[in-house]
Amino acid sequence: MSTLCPPPSPAVAKTEIVLSGESPLLAATFAYWDNILGPRVRHIWAPKTEQVLLSDGEITFLANHTLNGEILRNAESGAIDVKFFVLSEKGVIIVSLIFDGNWNGDRSTYGLSIILPQTELSFYLPLHRVCVDRLTHIIRKGRIWMHKERQENVQKIVLEGTERMEDQGQSIIPMLTGEVIPVMELLSSMKSHSVSEEIDIADTVLNDDDIGDSCHEGFLLNAISSHLQTCGCSVVVGSSAEKVNKIVRTLCLFLTPAERKCSRLCETESSFKYESGLFVQGLLKDSTGSFVLPFRQVMYAPYPTTHIDVDVNTVKQMPPCHEHIYNQRRYMRSELTAFWRATSEEDMAQDTIIYTDESFTPDLNIFQDVLHRDTLVKAFLDQVFHLKPGLSLRSTFLAQFLLILHRKALTLIKYIEDDTQKGKKPFKSLRNLKIDLDLTAEGDLNIIMALAEKIKPGLHSFIFGRPFYTSVQERDVLMTF
Amino acid sequence: MISAPDVVAFTKEDEYEEEPYNEVALPEEYSVPLFPFASQGANPWSKLSEAKFSRDFILISEFSEQVGPQPLLTIPNDTKVFGTFDLNYFSLRIMSVDYQASFVGHPPGSAYPKLNFVEDSKVVLGDSKEGAFAYVHHLTLYDLEARGFVRPFCMAYISADQHKIMQQFQELSAEFSKASECLKTGNRKAFAGELEKKLKDLDYTRTVLHTETEIQKKANDKGFYSSQAIEKANELASVEKSIIEHQDLLKQIRSYPYQKLKGSDLSAGKAEHTQDQAGQASTTSNPDESADTEVYTCRPAYTPKLIKAKSTKCFDKKLKTLEELCDTEYFAQTLAQLSHIEHMFRGDLCYLLTSQIDRALLKQQHITNFLFEDFVEVVDRVVEKQGSTPLEPSQDRPPSRSLEECLSPKVLISVGSYKSSVESVLIKMEQELGNEEYKEVEVTEVSSFLLQENLDYLDMDMKGSISSGESIEVLGTEKSTSVLPKSDSQASLTIPLSPQVVRTKAVSHRTISEDSIEVLSTCPSEALIPDDFKASYPSAINEEETYAGDNEGAIHFQASASPLDLGEAEEGSLENTPSHTDSSCCIGKENDSLLVPLPTLAHKLSDNDGVVSIPPQRYRQKDQGFHVDFAVENVSPSPRDNSSESFSPYELGPSCLLASRDVSKTSLDNYSDSTSYVSSVASTSSDRTPSSAHPTGTSCERHKKRAGQNALKFIRQYPFAHPAIYSLLSGRTLVVLGEDEAIVRKLVTALSIFVPNYGCYAKPVKHWVSSPLHITDFQKWKLIGLQRVVSPASAGTLQALRRYSRYTSILDLDNKTLRCPMYRGTLVPRLADHRTQIKRGSTYYMHVQSMLTQLCSKVFLYTFCHHLHLPAHDRETQELVASRQVSFLKLNLGLVNEDVKVVQYLAELLKLQYMQESPGTSHPMLRFDYVPSFLYKI
Repeated sequence: MSTLCPPPSPAVAKTEIVLSGESPLLAATFAYWDNILGPRVRHIWAPKTEQVLLSDGEITFLANHTLNGEILRNAESGAIDVKFFVLSEKGVIIVSLIFDGNWNGDRSTYGLSIILPQTELSFYLPLHRVCVDRLTHIIRKGRIWMHKERQENVQKIVLEGTERMEDQGQSIIPMLTGEVIPVMELLSSMKSHSVSEEIDIADTVLNDDDIGDSCHEGFLLNAISSHLQTCGCSVVVGSSAEKVNKIVRTLCLFLTPAERKCSRLCETESSFKYESGLFVQGLLKDSTGSFVLPFRQVMYAPYPTTHIDVDVNTVKQMPPCHEHIYNQRRYMRSELTAFWRATSEEDMAQDTIIYTDESFTPDLNIFQDVLHRDTLVKAFLDQVFHLKPGLSLRSTFLAQFLLILHRKALTLIKYIEDDTQKGKKPFKSLRNLKIDLDLTAEGDLNIIMALAEKIKPGLHSFIFGRPFYTSVQERDVLMTF
Repeated sequence: MISAPDVVAFTKEDEYEEEPYNEVALPEEYSVPLFPFASQGANPWSKLSEAKFSRDFILISEFSEQVGPQPLLTIPNDTKVFGTFDLNYFSLRIMSVDYQASFVGHPPGSAYPKLNFVEDSKVVLGDSKEGAFAYVHHLTLYDLEARGFVRPFCMAYISADQHKIMQQFQELSAEFSKASECLKTGNRKAFAGELEKKLKDLDYTRTVLHTETEIQKKANDKGFYSSQAIEKANELASVEKSIIEHQDLLKQIRSYPYQKLKGSDLSAGKAEHTQDQAGQASTTSNPDESADTEVYTCRPAYTPKLIKAKSTKCFDKKLKTLEELCDTEYFAQTLAQLSHIEHMFRGDLCYLLTSQIDRALLKQQHITNFLFEDFVEVVDRVVEKQGSTPLEPSQDRPPSRSLEECLSPKVLISVGSYKSSVESVLIKMEQELGNEEYKEVEVTEVSSFLLQENLDYLDMDMKGSISSGESIEVLGTEKSTSVLPKSDSQASLTIPLSPQVVRTKAVSHRTISEDSIEVLSTCPSEALIPDDFKASYPSAINEEETYAGDNEGAIHFQASASPLDLGEAEEGSLENTPSHTDSSCCIGKENDSLLVPLPTLAHKLSDNDGVVSIPPQRYRQKDQGFHVDFAVENVSPSPRDNSSESFSPYELGPSCLLASRDVSKTSLDNYSDSTSYVSSVASTSSDRTPSSAHPTGTSCERHKKRAGQNALKFIRQYPFAHPAIYSLLSGRTLVVLGEDEAIVRKLVTALSIFVPNYGCYAKPVKHWVSSPLHITDFQKWKLIGLQRVVSPASAGTLQALRRYSRYTSILDLDNKTLRCPMYRGTLVPRLADHRTQIKRGSTYYMHVQSMLTQLCSKVFLYTFCHHLHLPAHDRETQELVASRQVSFLKLNLGLVNEDVKVVQYLAELLKLQYMQESPGTSHPMLRFDYVPSFLYKI
């Protein structure tokens, strides 16, 4: 990396973070556009390592440049824009989230960035969405906090007649720290425990001589079916890491290579934390035989989740995409509103479940039994075990199955596109769609819709629209009249 | 499970609509939209139509030292594409990121200017208000006239979909790196040339100055230098210094670190490859410095100019254009690459993603791909495969070793002797390749030309076989009841047929004569069940007229082999029933009898039989024919239809190539798919139909659209579409008969989507034939468009067709009738439902593709389900094995009635393909199904 960098600004504060494993992240920075001095770095977070890969000067240089050109910023109100740099000359990649906010009485532009070595590009790209989603939300909260603090400080200045402008905005840093550290931990855990791009079918349940050798037939069917119905997003919990990981790998067989790289195996000794946004993750139960899922984070996952307990062979799933997104947005708005109204720092602590609001009470019972049966997965499982294990026959058969699902999903998108003239008209013929595309089984439709949602985001919401609490089935019944 | 107890569930919907009102509401800018996808008319496609430009495009911008950031050109170079989008403003935005802080000039401690070979930067950024997002590839080019010798440029891929750019980041990066390498290579070449010229100028200037100084020296005899002389001397020193500097720069540019590119960036190598492909003479990418130098120095003669002492760098000077900076050839090459990128990433992200996933998944399915996958894709894969060393069995195909392990007890099986599970007579037409050498040649050269040539040979050889003197006569009747003892000759060849098969063929009659073999046919016992003869469409079906003793309907073969021996061979191949074979399991070895070189046998035969003028030989794809033909046909090769004489690649690969076929009468119907949906065209083409990176992608898409649309029309118009499609799926040749070539071709193209391939080259579809059909046509083609000619001279065509009508399905377009076996399955109705609400041809094509993939999956399972095809124990008879297979198909795969036959037929193709050493090089055996046909009318 280049050594021809200017010295760091003396004002830059730095937080060193101790991580248990290897950190692919070189640093995170918070910079702002100073109206006199131009881009300035406010804070640096860096993992504490013996070998310094990037000096503070270099970090500052890079972070300053993330705001380059932002004087021309032309964004919608409240927008948080993402910039992504691959700088071969410096050997780094930078992800910057640029936003406007009020600080020190001025409206200015800010940039929260994470810096990784360029060698981690293929590691990072599948995790881009997870990182951006999580940083985006903390920025939303931080922005409110900056705004509120300014008001409070102005009041204090007026009352006390003291000049405290220098301290203003400082408290956004602890708030950002509260999310930057988990992101670092997430990347660190993914470095050591992410599922590999290629999965050997021999490490999965699909290598069993017969269905039911490793786990109960009905359980496996439910698990895979629900996993596909929730867009390939699942949490596998259990007491045995080996058992959990076998199911994790099995479920990952049904994902794309990029999605597999966004999935995590469980640790053998202790458990990782639940991480919002991963596709499949294995989590180890504690000594009491339980694992507590953080409600807020489960809600903030981009897709609904399937909960699989390998100890008791239970499978539960969250409502379909449109309901999940609706719930998620409701919860986000409530959280931000609560934040806006909060009067003390205690009120603003993270992970507080917002259920005191008069108008919005989240349904904590978000996991339900798998109601809709499918024929696609059932037929697949009934058939795949007829093929001799140990050869590549089952892998080929699995690839065929996935190809069928993807082709059906694309056909479904095209069908809706044709029928609605690319969204210009409402979609009214779900029943016809089911018959025409041979998706009459509710579970089949759910699986294909979930797959279609991943490649065409918003499809569920578009088709099922309002009311958001109408299930696919109910909606379909309504549509037939 | 959740860290808090269940709380109250939502009760009233109204509550969600309202925000809290009693306190200060959260400003909208700090909040999140409640309906990210469904509010204010938003939908999954709307984002793409909000942008000011109509579709994705590429912009090249420069940070000019004179005017600042400026757009240079767009690809495509069409103002309609970027519309009202402000290119100036966007250039300013994307060029304001300067990460290429390369130091050019005199670095500390260096006496001369130093060139810094800066690596490209890649940035994704956007303008959320404008709805424009871009992948920006920054690069620096060298210009001797520019400040610091550098000119910063960038190439930006601009799209309305940010998600698309991030999802395709690595692909975009790789492709733009190729374009950048091309530009930079050209630029280095041009820069070196510029330096050489400059050096020549300087050298010339030095000589001139030196001469002038000498003259002045001589003229000056006063013993001191005049101010003019001093000035000249200084000038000379300055030129000397400049020469050294420029020499150093030339040395630097020549010593460009190619290894840097080669080592880390794969794209550089690819760029090199791209350049090579373009047939450029230049080899500047060659890492070898000497070669490089040679290229740089190899320039046309240049007349040096005198350089004035004070060269002024003014702002009024004209900067070089990008083309001048990069050498015209390289510039053109770069533009071609950028056009390729624009085409490659055109369209909606969902199609791009799915096509990438499709390709990855199809790579894992070499075994089944040949059946229904697109011609182009399959060929691509074949070429890919040829380029590499044989893949490991576990990755490529089920390992033969392991499969052999399954053979317990060991089974001998003949490829040529597959007994169709559909009751049929199989007539193997030897077509294996002659030798390995030839195979290799053919496999490595998969060009359409060769392909065409092969098929021409095939066709010609088959025609050539007419000169043979003997004939094989296959006569069939479902109502024959006499049973003849097997001929002794049947034992001469060990061709497997299960005992069960023999039993079901019990009602058959065969006579072997000196000159012909007469096979009087095999009727499946179930075919005699009266219920089978009931029409499923009582009002629309007329039962076929005659069956028994219908000698006119028999097939007469003329064989060039000795009648008896060849007859034995044929008979044996059809009827012999060694008890130790497992004819229906692909998991086995080829029969040794197949490995015996046939030419030897043939040679013997010809020696013994003076009548045969052309000795039969093992059929070779290229130069050998199947020496069998109908006795009733003309002895000389009949003049074939003009269109069928030359097999264009389009003819051969309709799935991809038919799109641009020259159809004499182009109906508006061809375009109905695209015109039926005009209202949607107005939206951005970012979400247009899927595009393919393949050069023929567009024509393929067009073909799919048309084929799909016409197929959709067919299933809606013809109530007997199901049995027609069933015929195609079950391997029974369907002849589409009609007067109008355009209409026939259109329908054949439409129906071709249901035709399984034999190999990986082309679909067995003949779009238009105007001459009488030969028996070999039924072997080669499974879907034939046949001209109905009213003239008496062409009566032979219809006569021949009538003769084979029992063994083929005939769709008469003029009379709107179909004669073919009955179909009562559930598979085809799902594939071709006339009530379908699918609106567009391309959508229907996609639906068919997904349904056929599902079918392939079943076929794969059935074929490779080892326990199905082997006896469970020593005493298990073939009958039991067969019944086990049928019950598996019915119970496990959920197949009903004739669907079983479809899967069994496709499984046979799969077995053949799998067991052939070089798949796809031969046609399967000729086969006829002795099942009753019905006449369907509208």
